[in-house]
Amino acid sequence: MFFLSISFIFSRLLIDNRTNTTNHMKQRLWLIFLYLIPMGLLAQTGTITGTLTDASTDEGLAFANIFNLTTTIGTVTDLDGNYEILASVGDILEMSYVGYESAKATVTGIEKMNFALNSSSALLNEVVVIGYGSSTKKEITGAVSIVKAEEVAKLNPNRLEQALQGQSAGVQISSQSGSPGGGYNIRIRGISTNGDNNPLILVDGVRYADLSALDPYSIESINILKDASASIYGVQAANGVVLITTKKGTKSDKPVIDFHAYVGTQSSARRIPVLNATEYAILSNEAHANGGQTPPFNVISDLGEGTDWQDEVFQNAPIRNYFLNVRGGGDRARYAIGGSYFDQQGIVGGEKAGFKRYTGNVNLDVDLSEKLKFNSVVTYAKQNRKTLSENAIGSVLFNALNMPSTLTPFDEDGDYTLAEGLGAEVINPLQQIANTFNNVDVNRFSGTAGLSYNIAEGLTFTSSLPFNFSLVTNRGFSPIEFYGSGKVFNTVESSVSESTQTYSSWGWDNVLNYTYAYDNVHKIDVTAGTSMYEENFQGVYATGFGVPNNSFEFAAVSQANEIRPGGASSGAGTFRLMSQFGRIQYGYNYKYLISGIIRRDGTTRFGPNNRYGIFPSISVGWVMSEESFLQNNNIIDFAKLRLSYGQTGNDKIGDFRYVAGLNGESEYVFDGNTLVFGQAVGAIANPDINWERNTQFNLGLDVNLFDEALTVTADYFIKESNDLLLSIPVSGITGYTAPGGGLPIANAGSIKNTGIELAINYRYDFSEDISFNFGVNGSKLKNETTSLNDGVSFIQGGGFSIGQLPPTRWEVGQPIGYFYGLETDGVFQNASEIESHASQPDALPGDLKFVDRNNDGAIDSEDRTFIGSPIPEYIFGMSFSAEIHGFDFSAFADAQVGRDLVRNYARNLPLTNRTAYSVDRWHGEGTSTNVPRLTTGATDNNLFSDYFIEDGSYLRIKTLQLGYTIPRYGIQSIGFEKIRIYGSVSNPFTLTKYQGYDPNISSGNPLDSGIDNGYYPQARTFIAGIKITL
Amino acid sequence: MNKITNIKFWILAAIIMVSQSCSEFLEVDPLYQINSETFFNSEDDYQQALIGAYDLLQSSYINVMMGEFASDNTLCGGENANDVPGFQEIDDMRHGPVNSNLQDLWNWMYAGVNRCNYIFEFENKTNFENKDLVMGQAAFLRAYYFFELTKWFGDIPMPIDVRVSFGSVQDYGREAQANVYAQIESDLTFASNVLPTSWDQKGRVTKGAAQALLGKVLVFQEKFGAATIILDDVIDSGVYDLYDDYNTLFTQVAENNIESVFEVQYSNEQGAGFGCLQCSEGNVMVGFSGIRGYSGPTYVSGFSFNVPVQDLVDQYTPNDNRLRATIMDIEAYKSEQESQGNQVSYGEGWEHTGYYNHKYIPRTGEAFQDPNLTNSTNYRAIRFSDVLLLAAEAYNATGNDAKAQEYVNRVRTRAGLSDLVTTAGSLEQDIQQERRLELAGEGHRFFDLVRRGEAAAKIPGFIVGTHELFPIPLVEIEVAGNIWAQNPGY
Repeated sequence: MFFLSISFIFSRLLIDNRTNTTNHMKQRLWLIFLYLIPMGLLAQTGTITGTLTDASTDEGLAFANIFNLTTTIGTVTDLDGNYEILASVGDILEMSYVGYESAKATVTGIEKMNFALNSSSALLNEVVVIGYGSSTKKEITGAVSIVKAEEVAKLNPNRLEQALQGQSAGVQISSQSGSPGGGYNIRIRGISTNGDNNPLILVDGVRYADLSALDPYSIESINILKDASASIYGVQAANGVVLITTKKGTKSDKPVIDFHAYVGTQSSARRIPVLNATEYAILSNEAHANGGQTPPFNVISDLGEGTDWQDEVFQNAPIRNYFLNVRGGGDRARYAIGGSYFDQQGIVGGEKAGFKRYTGNVNLDVDLSEKLKFNSVVTYAKQNRKTLSENAIGSVLFNALNMPSTLTPFDEDGDYTLAEGLGAEVINPLQQIANTFNNVDVNRFSGTAGLSYNIAEGLTFTSSLPFNFSLVTNRGFSPIEFYGSGKVFNTVESSVSESTQTYSSWGWDNVLNYTYAYDNVHKIDVTAGTSMYEENFQGVYATGFGVPNNSFEFAAVSQANEIRPGGASSGAGTFRLMSQFGRIQYGYNYKYLISGIIRRDGTTRFGPNNRYGIFPSISVGWVMSEESFLQNNNIIDFAKLRLSYGQTGNDKIGDFRYVAGLNGESEYVFDGNTLVFGQAVGAIANPDINWERNTQFNLGLDVNLFDEALTVTADYFIKESNDLLLSIPVSGITGYTAPGGGLPIANAGSIKNTGIELAINYRYDFSEDISFNFGVNGSKLKNETTSLNDGVSFIQGGGFSIGQLPPTRWEVGQPIGYFYGLETDGVFQNASEIESHASQPDALPGDLKFVDRNNDGAIDSEDRTFIGSPIPEYIFGMSFSAEIHGFDFSAFADAQVGRDLVRNYARNLPLTNRTAYSVDRWHGEGTSTNVPRLTTGATDNNLFSDYFIEDGSYLRIKTLQLGYTIPRYGIQSIGFEKIRIYGSVSNPFTLTKYQGYDPNISSGNPLDSGIDNGYYPQARTFIAGIKITL
Repeated sequence: MNKITNIKFWILAAIIMVSQSCSEFLEVDPLYQINSETFFNSEDDYQQALIGAYDLLQSSYINVMMGEFASDNTLCGGENANDVPGFQEIDDMRHGPVNSNLQDLWNWMYAGVNRCNYIFEFENKTNFENKDLVMGQAAFLRAYYFFELTKWFGDIPMPIDVRVSFGSVQDYGREAQANVYAQIESDLTFASNVLPTSWDQKGRVTKGAAQALLGKVLVFQEKFGAATIILDDVIDSGVYDLYDDYNTLFTQVAENNIESVFEVQYSNEQGAGFGCLQCSEGNVMVGFSGIRGYSGPTYVSGFSFNVPVQDLVDQYTPNDNRLRATIMDIEAYKSEQESQGNQVSYGEGWEHTGYYNHKYIPRTGEAFQDPNLTNSTNYRAIRFSDVLLLAAEAYNATGNDAKAQEYVNRVRTRAGLSDLVTTAGSLEQDIQQERRLELAGEGHRFFDLVRRGEAAAKIPGFIVGTHELFPIPLVEIEVAGNIWAQNPGY
């Protein structure tokens, strides 16, 4: 077995180190001496004991070297920094530790000697969590980005994902919805599959599907493993790994109490200019006249501005957050206890789009004995979310943009004005909000408990049990409501849906870690472990009809008049993963570093044929600044070249896709109207599905310059994802389109992401009271499809307008999900231009001129081509912060450049409202070269073309924050350690050419990610807050 | 710390970690789900699978609708020129191998074939009394789906008695249409031999349905002699007759009436969505054929597809009582209602003709929630009048004009028309005209024109040698490894 061989290497290492007489003479000597210690010794010679600590934190330094220069005997400290060494009065001891300035001291008596070492570089010794262990920035050989608690705090995020935006090179964060509680997409180094692109997220070792349940202020650090060094997580690591640690207790005399509160108000950051009533009437008349129909508005002069429907639906909405954390501990136990409350209402819909979150957590570390330690994290989170219809035809904002400004919100009787004559989908958005009722509650209880035992010097065994239990309850109510003739939203019967879903998981990780440092020359760190993981899901769903009083108050399935056949269902699932893994890190003189990782995973997602996969990686580092040619260099403090190569995997598909189950829909009608139910095969099975493999090469450089004022990290990567797990197109003769059926999952296709990443930070301290920091990071990404499965030239997706051909494609040689439509070449100015152009059906002067791409003399769907890509070419983040005599200021910005978005929030019916650019329409030769004429008649102007593609590049100031910390002498007497007050504004402005609400928005689906149907935009938020430390 | 404890912990750590590597941990069975390979252990299992085979009949609404667009009876309509491009293309006879709606038809019919074959695959697993009743229904359904497929696409891949699995697609070449017909005939013969003439449960396949479909398949192959025999069996069975009132024949009060030889059953008990139209338990065609932006009594608004053309309206003589039941004239209706003081308003869609398909038009109270996708009006797939007209055609073709006149005149009498007295070639023409008038709006016209070689004369844009068949979806040819030749001209 893999593991056994690892442990064998282990024991060999232990034995070798203790018996090899040639190389390890000194070591053997100290071992002998150690054994002699209890026997007592000569006068003037004896055992010196003491502790070696970090001068700034007072924390013990584990495995630091103590060397008696006189006797040439050495030892290392234990986990808490304690040491014992044999010495005589007058001997000189040298204390050294990686990243710390070494110190010497002369023994003046056989007594306790404590030493505090100054860190040679706080930056380089920053701990980097790398999965089942940690390393330091100096020693790490993989590409890892770190975001610290301080940076998170400066951003005032509602959700932790917002704090990652623009903070880490190569990590793209986009919002799925700006509504309170809306999700975010985290994309590490691009999109590598049309399946699940979400990274593995572990919070203190516990898996999280997203970060909605976390209070951002409870976070200590976020580490993002971007390259192949993530292979320690094997099959789960293809999309990168995000490792989050929460605030832990620290040793302190009295409890440290942090209290943080803010309140604020949110408003919309942008309105889409639409026609006012007068403009609307004029242009509607023109469109009707052009279409040969009677103009609908006879009198225009008294229409005025009319209703601004966006004013009607947008509102100012409150936001607030309270956070309390108490930390402390003694010699044997440390704790951190916290809680938070967050409440945000929506800028559309207010409470109807509200989100509330309550969290509580207890972190407890107890030293049960000198060797045996217990640690635990327990978190509880309760969330409540309500949502409105968004980003769809007929959603609230879509309707606000399409409702004519001539209509008033309410009619003379005070009822909602019906949206008559506006097609089947556009309805009065206020009526829609008023009749939307839903409620999702999530209760999440999760944590981890672990024991670690220090078996021998440098050798630790850790066993931990992460767990999670989530209960999701859902209630939705659809009242009887009439929105206008023929509206698809009309209901003649009220209904209520309720569901309860339980997600539970547990894991068991066992890790052996051995660390050994010899003479500050060789340092070896070996990790070997096993892991089991199980996820269970159970859901019950029911729908009832006929809700008493047509009211949400009575909307429960138990109150409903009737549950129809098929109106109740349930589901369940199980997923298991079993893994063994190992990692060896070796450093020579802190100059040459090498790390090898191997992981073997077994998953229940694949059939017995392909159940196990092995994922190796190797990385090396060369600390050039340790070389003689760079030593004593005044400019370069530190320089390291990193190289990594390896594989990770992906099994993120549904469970049991390798067997054909009877989970299809089998329903028919006998005897009138009554449904009968049977059994049918579900999705097509593929017994041979196998691992998706992601092979990544990374070349990186870390440089610290000018006394570490300037730090630079640069990475170049090539990430190839092969054997993608796709729902591949198969022949319809397999019957996959049957109700409840589906495409099989198969390994097919490959995607290559190539990119460079650069992060630069400059920090300058003018004096103790004045300092500033400037950071910028950027990445350039190229996404290319290198193959699809045999016989398939492309896979299409997305939706544009109604009934049109799919607007996005995934095709070899192109970025995934690129926009596929007609190319335009301006507007036909006159009949002769149409005459000389390829034949374009129904074209009239003023219509868009489509390019005849295939040169067949006719414009049709065969002329469609690449017209844009939703994947940004560049992503940037910028930060600036300054501290001047108690005042602090910070500013963050993020940008995405070279990406396109599709404007799809106009319904384009004869009487729907239009966006303001239609004022610039063609209405006679020479009046416009880019906006076509308006008409209610037949036109191809609304076919998907680059006319609807907009540059979605943007630069957004994310947050500006100004704070003041009250001088300590003023508050200490009344018991405060620190009081900081601050004001902040998020999303103050965005530089973009994009006309829609919010360019930083994207559905998570690669084939639908850049199509804007009226996304709920991210709000502009003004906040006032206070942070108190007691 | 002493060495003994060290060893103890070594052993403990080793045991824990080795025990974690036991592969039984990964042996998990799916929950709440039956494995498709271990089913068919009782009659009930067979009955349950049979419901799945019936299920896809409901998706054949698209065959009916597209059959009408393709013919000279209706225009596509819809909201605008780009509303469902695949429909518009078929209407204009400019459809190509990339047409998502044709692909739907192909896919859904094959989904039906697979569900039938699933039952045949396990036919011999468990025995029970009257198993033939299950197998007979399954055989009819398979024949029904295959007949649709061969009508649209000609030679087709023909999997029999086994589900087509992922990876086995390449095993199926395009079977010659003659062989497909042979299979259909064999399935229908079996079905008509084992099925009862009626069921307690309305909507199940009967002996008459199997015989009628067999007769139709024979007429399509111009096996007129054999057709007369089998169709006469149906006509003389005494089970079926013409329904008196053509005006209410297609409304919900007349579902599964005496004229219905086979009827696709729909229900409004469940919601539906555009994401899976084939999953709807309702008749999607009805909502699609509804009056655009309608507000007023009796009807509800729809998507204004499938609008009849003036030429069809002009075919009816004034005293033909089928006109009002077949064609809804919105302007005439509006003025009629307004004279009674009722408000009627409507919008105009693309290719507005002023006419709607009155046989399948959404009326109030017929649908659930989304009115456009869940209309419960059944589709009268094989009507007794169709059987009579097919028989008349077969008798005329075999020289028995007296019998042919008898049958066609039964249909004409119900329509309030006088008897035909024509014979031979002119009777042949008259029977076809009667088929058009009797069956307009029901999806049959295009295939009648094609099988008789009259399509090019009637349908603008129809190219002889190409448009008799529809193209096999391009992606189907590609994913099957390019082993299927495309139909000529595409």
